[in-house]
Amino acid sequence: MDFTIDNEQKALASAVRDMVGRRTPAEGENGAGPRPHDAGLWSAMAETGLLGLPFAEDVGGFGASAVEVFVAARELGRAGVQSAYADALLATSLLAAAGDGLVEAAVSGESLVLPAFAEPMRAFAAVPGGIRAEVSGDEAVLDGFKGPVRFGADASHFIVSAGSEDGTVLVVVDGSATAVGAEEVLGLEQAAGRILLRGADADQALTDALALASVANAGQALGAMESALTMTTDYLKTRKQFGVPLAAFQALTHRASDMYVSVELARSMAMYLAMSVAEGDTDPAMVSRCRVVLGRTGRHVGQEAIQLHGGIAMTSEYAVGHLTAMLTALERTYGDPRAHLGQLSAGVKDYSTVTVLT
Amino acid sequence: MQRSLSAEDAQFQANVREFMTTQIPAELREKVTAGVELTKDEIVRSQQILNAGGYAVPHWPVEWGGKDWSPRQKHIWLTEMQAAGVPHLLPFNTSMVGPVIATFGNQEQKEKFLPATANLDIWWCQGFSEPDAGSDLASLRTTAVRDGDEWVVNGQKTWTTMAQHADWIFCLVRTNPDAKKQEGISFLLIDMNTPGIEVRPIQLIDGGHEVNEVFFTDVRVPAENLVGEENKGWDYAKFLLGNERTGIAAIGAIKSKLAQVKGYASRVLDADGTPVLEQPLLAARVAELEAELMALEITVLRVAGNSADGKPDPASSILKIRATQLQQDVFELAVDVAGPMSLVWLIEDDALGELEDDAVVPGWARRSTPTYLNFRKSSIYGGSNEVQRSIIAGAVLGLKA
Ligand SMILES: Cc1cc2nc3c(=O)[nH]c(=O)nc-3n(C[C@H](O)[C@H](O)[C@H](O)COP(=O)(O)OP(=O)(O)OC[C@H]3O[C@@H](n4cnc5c(N)ncnc54)[C@H](O)[C@@H]3O)c2cc1C
Repeated sequence: MDFTIDNEQKALASAVRDMVGRRTPAEGENGAGPRPHDAGLWSAMAETGLLGLPFAEDVGGFGASAVEVFVAARELGRAGVQSAYADALLATSLLAAAGDGLVEAAVSGESLVLPAFAEPMRAFAAVPGGIRAEVSGDEAVLDGFKGPVRFGADASHFIVSAGSEDGTVLVVVDGSATAVGAEEVLGLEQAAGRILLRGADADQALTDALALASVANAGQALGAMESALTMTTDYLKTRKQFGVPLAAFQALTHRASDMYVSVELARSMAMYLAMSVAEGDTDPAMVSRCRVVLGRTGRHVGQEAIQLHGGIAMTSEYAVGHLTAMLTALERTYGDPRAHLGQLSAGVKDYSTVTVLT
Repeated sequence: MQRSLSAEDAQFQANVREFMTTQIPAELREKVTAGVELTKDEIVRSQQILNAGGYAVPHWPVEWGGKDWSPRQKHIWLTEMQAAGVPHLLPFNTSMVGPVIATFGNQEQKEKFLPATANLDIWWCQGFSEPDAGSDLASLRTTAVRDGDEWVVNGQKTWTTMAQHADWIFCLVRTNPDAKKQEGISFLLIDMNTPGIEVRPIQLIDGGHEVNEVFFTDVRVPAENLVGEENKGWDYAKFLLGNERTGIAAIGAIKSKLAQVKGYASRVLDADGTPVLEQPLLAARVAELEAELMALEITVLRVAGNSADGKPDPASSILKIRATQLQQDVFELAVDVAGPMSLVWLIEDDALGELEDDAVVPGWARRSTPTYLNFRKSSIYGGSNEVQRSIIAGAVLGLKA
């Protein structure tokens, strides 16, 4: 096992840092809550090659791997950038698995293809079960609500998941065919689309795509945690109360140390997940274990970062709270830690130990 | 970045596994896995087999039996040993005094002590803590006063683990009472058979006898037993404590204990006859611990590779904190699984090293509470977890008052 980030990967990280630094913050950027899609940033990401990192060169990709996705995503997280990155990789991975022609436009950033998996009033699952597709040949018709889909208003296409008589189907629906409102929900009214994948092929492609998206999610979470920790320790060194820097109070420095422990555990899991996916291992149990630890540590670091800053962290002008909001969202994306633990629990009786070194 | 083991490391792993599972007697490994206390002879026997195979002190300098292994290979070695239930190497010998003598001792000391220390012909104990010198170790008061070719030692050590078995003790003693407290300490090797040494047992909350008080009254120690320079003992102690910290993160042992607990939980039944391992909350707790242990193991692999010039990465404090927390969690889970059976204790000193797993109330269940209580120690010793947090705050995060 080798955790070294090589020079090319370092160059990628600094290219992403520069790109994020050059970006003009979008309207409402400093406000609270979920941000709108930033088309300028998206084309910069496409130009930097981020959208095609793990995909083959013959579809316009970079031919790199999930490790590079991790490296890039971590920089996005560090800068607190909200984007559709992980979701776009998820969708592109499905397109690539199906050998679909749309993959090139997704990689080039010309099209924004997003997964529409979630359903209102349903827990997360790749196929939550509330919507069934009526299949006829290569087409399917869908009826009902999908979402919220973050950045859905700007999507050119959706990949909608549904159950059907053929098992899972993944259906490509044109963005213009659906109405997406402020709730970021797609209202599908007898919407027709072409079937991208179905049955066992769809399930396998979903497993792989969710693992890849989890790498991007993990990288962003790690980056956000790193920034939150740095901001917190800097603040403890400079903020004075009772005539001394806050760093004079052991009750606070020990809590900062525990945040550091969490960040390092998160780093280990994020790197391990990236290396595993890069080597073709997308075992859902492995992914779940990584997500449990990343979710827990992200929550811990985010909550403590606010508490150790005091009131200033509560303002929308100060970045720490936004990092915590982002960590909160990342933890709930693709299943929260409790859901992953639930899935893992069902299997614990079937093996004796978890093997890490293989 | 790359996850898979290289072909070379995979072969290495296979070799270590083969040695551990074929050369170390199964009855010893079974006892370790079940958490049965071993006798002195059993621990010595196991370490001598390991030493003969080149597996006792690979982290020492090559000249003294060490191996040129990578940090990853050292991790594989440790994890495979622990996973196979091999009795632990005596840490006072292999992780503590051995490396100190090898690094700071003179040639005569190396020749006299290192081979015997590696082979456990000498059993060492650690005489650092005193009644008034715990976390603030540098405030220790045991004195050594030079008298001709000898040091005359007076004072008291406490918490001395396994002093009842020890042939020698390595001590921190005050040799200059006038200097700043860290600057008046020396590192002295003392034969436990020297007149004036008295060892008194301390019984712990689990009923067992593993620690002692050691009293020194005019104990005369040859001057040649001082390691390194006079009054530089604090530097050697810091070096030693760094190694001790890393050694406490026994991932392989914790994983194997959790696997054991899963085994117990598949045999203890619920009112409706299903194994308690299938209770959703218990299964979720197991899944959670497995995920957390995985994060720790990967961190060990990642951080172990970072230590520069033998100095532990301050990040190793993470390992101490996390490993002791998880170890304590796993022992606590064993009590939960034992349920009502945990109310009856099997105290190691009466148990005569028997597994008793076939008894109506099996040995593991009766050991669960004493073991859980015993391992509250691990967040106290080796630099308490609070002390580790202070190390991280200062050395890593730069948070100084
Ligand atoms: C089972 C067992 C075996 C041991 N074996 C050995 C041995 O073989 N040889 C040996 O030399 N020693 C041994 N020790 C001693 C061990 O190293 C000490 O117990 C340890 O250093 C803590 O010291 P203390 O017990 O005096 O606690 P104290 O130092 O009095 O600490 C009490 C509490 O205060 C906290 N605390 C102390 N200082 C600070 C601070 N600055 N900031 C925040 N919190 C603080 C501690 O973390 C702890 O929670 C052993 C201990 C045990 C329990």
